[in-house]
Amino acid sequence: MSARVRLWVFLLACLCVVPAVIHVARRMPEFGAHPLPYGDAINARATRERHVTNMVSAVNFDYRGIDTLGEEFMLLCAVTGTTVLLRGTRPQPLADRPGQVAGREVRPASDAVVLICRMFGAAILVFGLYIALHAMTTPGGGFQGGVIIASGFMLIYLGEGYRGWRGLMRPELLDAAEGAGATLYAVAGFAAMAAGLPFLTNFLPLGQPKDVFSGGLMLVENVGVALAVAGGFAVLFVEFLKETRTEQNGEDS
Amino acid sequence: MSEAVSLLPWAVAAWLLGIGLYGIVTSRNYIHLIGCLSVVQSATYVLLLGVGFRHGAGPPIFYDHPPGTPAVDPVVQALVLTDIVIGATVTALLLALVLQLHRRRGTIDPHEVRPFGP
Amino acid sequence: MTALIVILLLLSAATGTGVVLSRIPTRQVLALAANGLVLALLFMALQAPDVAFSELAVGTVATPLLFLAVLASIHMVRRTGKPEQE
Repeated sequence: MSARVRLWVFLLACLCVVPAVIHVARRMPEFGAHPLPYGDAINARATRERHVTNMVSAVNFDYRGIDTLGEEFMLLCAVTGTTVLLRGTRPQPLADRPGQVAGREVRPASDAVVLICRMFGAAILVFGLYIALHAMTTPGGGFQGGVIIASGFMLIYLGEGYRGWRGLMRPELLDAAEGAGATLYAVAGFAAMAAGLPFLTNFLPLGQPKDVFSGGLMLVENVGVALAVAGGFAVLFVEFLKETRTEQNGEDS
Repeated sequence: MSEAVSLLPWAVAAWLLGIGLYGIVTSRNYIHLIGCLSVVQSATYVLLLGVGFRHGAGPPIFYDHPPGTPAVDPVVQALVLTDIVIGATVTALLLALVLQLHRRRGTIDPHEVRPFGP
Repeated sequence: MTALIVILLLLSAATGTGVVLSRIPTRQVLALAANGLVLALLFMALQAPDVAFSELAVGTVATPLLFLAVLASIHMVRRTGKPEQE
């Protein structure tokens, strides 16, 4: 199928679908003014039942906890697939020098970039840790905190350069962190079963609302998610940045 | 006028879906195609959060307000926020596949890559 | 509906179109980062701070960085000495 035919088929399909889209959009409930029964039910009773003040975390880790378990294992599978693809087919041992791109010379890092990244890399890591740990009280959680910690790792890469950064990011630790996070979530669920309750029941003491350590089993699940997301993204960054290195025995200048 | 404004979130979601699909269909570079896929994903986020919105309500965080204050729907927010993070890792998997394709075939143009053949 | 939500919805449609219409991948990366930023602002206006956190960290840092690393690897001069085709 040539490109032009493909485009015409696509436009024809759009022409057939657009009347249906308009028909549905007119019958959608009015934006911002329709009843939200499930959301109102959770907002009304989650603080009383689970002693947390962040409703989104309550939904993620307690009311719909098994969906988050599935999502976390999807993350594990995607990172595993990427790692297998990139590590398994790397043709030659790689050096630490960056590869050459045609028509562009290699410049040393600028002082301003190094200074700012060194200052803010550590600050962003601490901020990510704060966001990840305050899941039950204020906006935040394992997913958000994990990605912010991964951004902090990236700032450290920009500030220290590849060699110093690889010294800090040991692949064994990152793989272990990612696997430990996913395992922790699953173990939390099975611990509830060992206590005779259904899978992922919140059987730990719930604590006080507005306290950092409230929520019972949700805290354990939150830590698992933060470890898995931070470790997973860090592994992805290491693997992709290893791809930009040149081969070991290359004779290029 | 007010009806047109009330249809705007659904219209923007449909537009993002359509333009992302158009980009995928007419792409000449697999990396550009993956960027268009992320535009399609953002259409779902806009739609879901538009469904969960309520005028004059605040976020579903009851740290400073008592739990009776009007708030938007937390269920759709939970769906979207896990989806964003997992979508990024699936994008990484697709990029690794593009790297493999480049190593084996030397090209990342969809029109030059014929399936089931050299 | 506030004017802010209307403006941000239209802006997100515009940045999404910008991502699709930037055919050169090295320029599409910047369009992706801008799209991520506008979406994060839209999610904040829709009273979803958790979602805005995720979208900001992922859409402006993680995704453009992965794209740039793959582009750098594809455009590298390999041992045979000739630049890779695109």
